[in-house]
Amino acid sequence: MPEPLWLEIIRAVLGAFFGTIGFAMLVHVPKRAWLSSGLIAALSYLVYWGLTRLSIPDPMAIFIGAFFGSMAGQLFARKLKIISTVFLMSAIVPVVPGLGLYRMMSFLGRGKINVGAEIGIEAMITVVMIALGLAAGGYTDHAICTLAGKRHHMSEKKITP
Amino acid sequence: MKLPATTPPESSCMEVLQTAGEIIMENGGETYRAEETITRMGVGFGLNKVESFAVPSGLFISYRGKNGKLETSVKRVRRLGRNLSRVDAANQVSRQVAAGKMNCPQAMEKLKEIKAMPGAFSGWWSLPAAFLCASGFSALFGGNWLAIGASGVVALVVQMIEMFLSRFRKRGLAASVIGGMFTALLPNLLVLVLPALQTELVIAGAVMPLVPGLAMTNAVQDTMRGDMISGLSHGAQAILTACLIAGGALLALDLMKLITGGMV
Repeated sequence: MPEPLWLEIIRAVLGAFFGTIGFAMLVHVPKRAWLSSGLIAALSYLVYWGLTRLSIPDPMAIFIGAFFGSMAGQLFARKLKIISTVFLMSAIVPVVPGLGLYRMMSFLGRGKINVGAEIGIEAMITVVMIALGLAAGGYTDHAICTLAGKRHHMSEKKITP
Repeated sequence: MKLPATTPPESSCMEVLQTAGEIIMENGGETYRAEETITRMGVGFGLNKVESFAVPSGLFISYRGKNGKLETSVKRVRRLGRNLSRVDAANQVSRQVAAGKMNCPQAMEKLKEIKAMPGAFSGWWSLPAAFLCASGFSALFGGNWLAIGASGVVALVVQMIEMFLSRFRKRGLAASVIGGMFTALLPNLLVLVLPALQTELVIAGAVMPLVPGLAMTNAVQDTMRGDMISGLSHGAQAILTACLIAGGALLALDLMKLITGGMV
């Protein structure tokens, strides 16, 4: 029985929000960043989930979700003056293929090498797309800052006097 | 030869730079961040020609002191754990120094405080954190209430096992194998008692506290800035961790096969 849409949205938002706050606590993210970490995770997962609902292929949806998360993360980091690592990590945690990894092993363990390998490659594509999305977001953010004439933490500007 | 009783001010500045870089690298900060922080702080202290070069296992710092002498230091760094509070705090200190609001001794004082902040896996609060993380993601993947609860409990137990193990050894790659093993084993045992359990969703949630999300982020961040050595090192760490978790899960599944006689 398929779930109603509202329940799926609640799952996506609350699951990503609380799950990521838990993850953030595990890597000792500063307390003042907990709420915003969860928020970024929920937003970028919602983007990913929405795109898959619009039958955009999964890798593309992951790329766009990570891209969005990366842009939002840099913005949050600048506004709150907290290291960007915190928010970039939060943005990608919900799409990290933990389930894929386990399913791959469970098939390989049962001798179903073909299915296992297929799922493994899917998981790898997901990871690559996450990385590309994060990087693309970083470069775009840098480009926007440069155009706006602001100093960006990625600028090559020499700080040595 | 008799050593001077007091260290000259420049060498204490060197110590401050070393400590700042060390805190960032040891607690899961990116390599580029360590380099940038050191350079920025050195300039803030009024030193000339500050150069820093960091690789995942060490820091190299050099500058021309106020007396014109070139000073260089090498610092061996070991990745201890993941504590972004410390990285963030060190970053705040560097901001203050760069703004000229802090001198060498003040910065050292502050950095010592940061080093004494509670470490990874010391607090009981990693238990509710693991519970929250696992049950949240279990819900996200579509688990019912039973799966959400079971996932949280499994993650909590795994976290307790890891905390127990970290008393003997620093949290390392072995923890990933053991974590992955118990994460797969416990739900498979639970399902023998609770046949309605959505085993796969329980495991999918419970494995989330173990996934190398931070290493992945750092790999991307360092690679993006052209630092291939650190990028590859973080990437390798992420892949290795994932493989070890998966390997642990495979061991657990084989173990289940032995227990149930091939019924899994």
